[in-house]
Amino acid sequence: MEYQGEHLFIGELGNLFVLVAFAFGLLSAVSYFLAEQKADDGWKKTGRIAFWVHAAAVVGMVGTLFAMIFNQYFEYHYVWQHSSSELPLRYIFSCFWEGIEGSFMLWMFWHVIVSAVLMRSIGKWEAPVMSVIASIQAFLTSMLLGVYFFDYKIGSNPFTVLTREHPDFVNLPIFEMPNYLEVLDGRGLNPLLQNYWMTIHPPTLFLGFALVMIPFAYAIAGLWRRDYIEWVKPALSWTFTAIGVLGIGILMGGAWAYEALSFGGFWAWDPVENASLVPWLILVGAGHLMLIQRKKGTSVLTLFLMTTLSFCLIQYSSFLTKSGILGDSSVHSFTDLGMTGQLAISLFFFFGISGGLIIARAKEFPKSEKEDHLWSREFWMFIGSLILFLSAFQIEFSTSFPVINKIFGTNLAQSAERVEYYNKWQLPMAIIIAAIIGFTQFLKYKKTDPKELLKKLSVSLVLAAAITLAFSIAMSITNPLVISLLFTSAFAVTANTDYLIRIVSGKIAHAGSSVAHVGFGLVLLGALISTSQSDTISQNTSLYDVSVLGDDFSNNENILLMKDDTLMMGEYFVSYRGKEKDGLYIHYEVDYMQANTDGELETVFTLYPFVQLNPRMGNVAEPYTKHYIGRDLYTHITYAELEERKNDDDISEHKLQLGDTIFGKNTFIVLDSLNRRPKLDGKGLTTNDLALGASFTLFDVQTNAHRLEPLFVIRDRQYSFSVPDSMPEVGVTISFEGIDPESESFSFKMVESDPKYKEFIVMKAIIFPWINILWLGCILMGIGTALAVYHRIKRT
Amino acid sequence: MKRTHIILIILIAVVIGAMIGAISDSSSYADFDEAYSNPGEEFHVVGKLSEDKEMIYDPMVNPDLFTFWMTDVNGDEHKVVLHKSKPQDFERSEQIVLIGAVQDGDFHANEILMKCPSKYTDGEVQAKQEASI
Repeated sequence: MEYQGEHLFIGELGNLFVLVAFAFGLLSAVSYFLAEQKADDGWKKTGRIAFWVHAAAVVGMVGTLFAMIFNQYFEYHYVWQHSSSELPLRYIFSCFWEGIEGSFMLWMFWHVIVSAVLMRSIGKWEAPVMSVIASIQAFLTSMLLGVYFFDYKIGSNPFTVLTREHPDFVNLPIFEMPNYLEVLDGRGLNPLLQNYWMTIHPPTLFLGFALVMIPFAYAIAGLWRRDYIEWVKPALSWTFTAIGVLGIGILMGGAWAYEALSFGGFWAWDPVENASLVPWLILVGAGHLMLIQRKKGTSVLTLFLMTTLSFCLIQYSSFLTKSGILGDSSVHSFTDLGMTGQLAISLFFFFGISGGLIIARAKEFPKSEKEDHLWSREFWMFIGSLILFLSAFQIEFSTSFPVINKIFGTNLAQSAERVEYYNKWQLPMAIIIAAIIGFTQFLKYKKTDPKELLKKLSVSLVLAAAITLAFSIAMSITNPLVISLLFTSAFAVTANTDYLIRIVSGKIAHAGSSVAHVGFGLVLLGALISTSQSDTISQNTSLYDVSVLGDDFSNNENILLMKDDTLMMGEYFVSYRGKEKDGLYIHYEVDYMQANTDGELETVFTLYPFVQLNPRMGNVAEPYTKHYIGRDLYTHITYAELEERKNDDDISEHKLQLGDTIFGKNTFIVLDSLNRRPKLDGKGLTTNDLALGASFTLFDVQTNAHRLEPLFVIRDRQYSFSVPDSMPEVGVTISFEGIDPESESFSFKMVESDPKYKEFIVMKAIIFPWINILWLGCILMGIGTALAVYHRIKRT
Repeated sequence: MKRTHIILIILIAVVIGAMIGAISDSSSYADFDEAYSNPGEEFHVVGKLSEDKEMIYDPMVNPDLFTFWMTDVNGDEHKVVLHKSKPQDFERSEQIVLIGAVQDGDFHANEILMKCPSKYTDGEVQAKQEASI
């Protein structure tokens, strides 16, 4: 069949770019390899030209895919899968990297940009470093090939998979129409990802990943050339740039989770989060070992191990998230595209190259003659790096349960108490790290007098103790581990601030590391206080006692709010006012009230948590947070009846004379008398209105009597309407519909509803105290790292 | 003994400790049979919602209590008491992973992971809005 309107050329163009990028990446890697082995400038030139062709092809394929998404070519499965005709233009970038193929392209794109910058200053390291980079690029491009090698499919190619040829679509009647494109619409971007964080978080994170490639390439080059010391010099600035960018990228993910997802915090120790944190921890360790090596020429082996490991662990993260192996244990990993084997091969390749070279060369590494002095900066920086390694190892081991299960056939699963489990291990390590960050700045390289050190630190120690005491008392913290970390992280902040003021004394050029360390201390402090002291103020106020089931199950963290009822919650009174549907979203209006000086309740603020009716993932609740400087109040819906309740009301009409009785379901109602002068105020009536009231006595099941007085109103002698009266407790509403003068009877309409039913929501509210310290810390860390890198680049 | 050696020994000790700690604190995937043979012990049980059995969620009584029946991979069916609010869209779930333990004859879960069918829109073709008018 001839299909109409398909744009097959652009796909062929994109595919051509993929093939060129792969071929020239490979050519560049081999040429640079030969250039290094044979010390041949001709090969080097070939390698360089091949790399630029590869780079151009990568930019070309990114541009092509972008154009396909922009023009909504739904004949391509990738475009169909991630975009739709109604998607706002601002999410077009998010569509690009929502899928595995796009995220590989983003990663490769950053590699190309980073390499282009690197080329300007690469000098004598060009051949070995670029050989490593080009082989990494060749591996990544192979993930996009989409060709069959015997029976095994290599990569997934977004340019060649057409929607109508995709296995999910075969035999669908729509593709029997030659003009199917006129009606086909894309599935669209997952609504949960239609969020500005999705636009900025992935590119930042991937830029961080891409930057880690550079120190790795230099380390391999150093091993290759048997130059175990000099490679560090050019790698150092790149490493700290990577630390800064990747750190910000990771924390952006935390901010996204906190602002827009209902995880109930900014860090949930989810496998995907862990997978990006671990390489960062190792990289921070490697960066500090580089500093030691520049000064003293020691810790060569550890440095090689940590530098190569950080990059290999990024490959491992890529394997974890893209192979689908985390499927059961993570909420946000990709589904399997059948690339597990290929991802594993590339993982083994990089681990093998690094491990093999280090083992082969280890004997030649320069050894230091004597040990570092106990009170020297290098010793404690080294210890700090080892603790970062241990912290990373502990996280990665538990995160790898699915991989361990696959290899050893075990059934390991992460405990439900995941957060407590990680905290138990990470808290003590954080305590030591924070303490080391505090005093190490004051140590000199080689040797320091401990007494002198103590003297210098006394002010910071006293200040930190005061801060700890203040927080502990104000928030009644008793956990000794929490107090310890409070103290050491406060100490990290005060000591580095002190160093900044006294030693650096305003010289911006030297301020970088102190500012970054103050920032890191604040991140720890903010994370500690906001999470350990977070308070779930929504409590189950029902009659049902959950404690009989044992402490494990007293999940007492949700509150049920009936519409317009006011309940006490923490220091607030809350009231659910109603909901409003807006496209895919249902916004719930929740008033937070406090008593004013007169003792009356006043609305302090209103929150609008919402539920997204996500056709792709089911319904997703998203939080709404009230931000104060000292704390955040975080609210999200945990349960709400989304469908409008069916109208079960019984409506009946009655013609009555005075003294007649209506028998309702649970009531009987007597028309007693007519009231010619009913009260008009509060019902929107004016004194010009002619109103007639019908006085009823209503008897409920307990034969309690209630009064009801619906009105019949004639306005301006022209038209009439009724003002109904109701008794919600028994579920009865009566309206006065008309008067029949001939039979002296009156007509009424009665609505009986289930008095027990009222619209409600179940929600959760958490107070996170001082979370702003965390965000402030992030910003300082970023600024500090940027300063340090800038200063170092300027100096060299 | 040199300080380097002491550090190395501590390092190895913590690495081994972390591995043992991780495994001893872990839970494991199991079926109902195993969970019922070891009451009180935490397991991850994978299964499907028994759609014909009743689901009770009455937030007026307790918003943190939801009971339903689940059939595990071996076809064993048991009552599950979830100590959380009823997950949104629960009926649509394709697969359930419960984290909890058996207590007093019922499976009490304090965590639930659900897999919603990821393919249910993949196989269908949506028409453009304007075309459907």
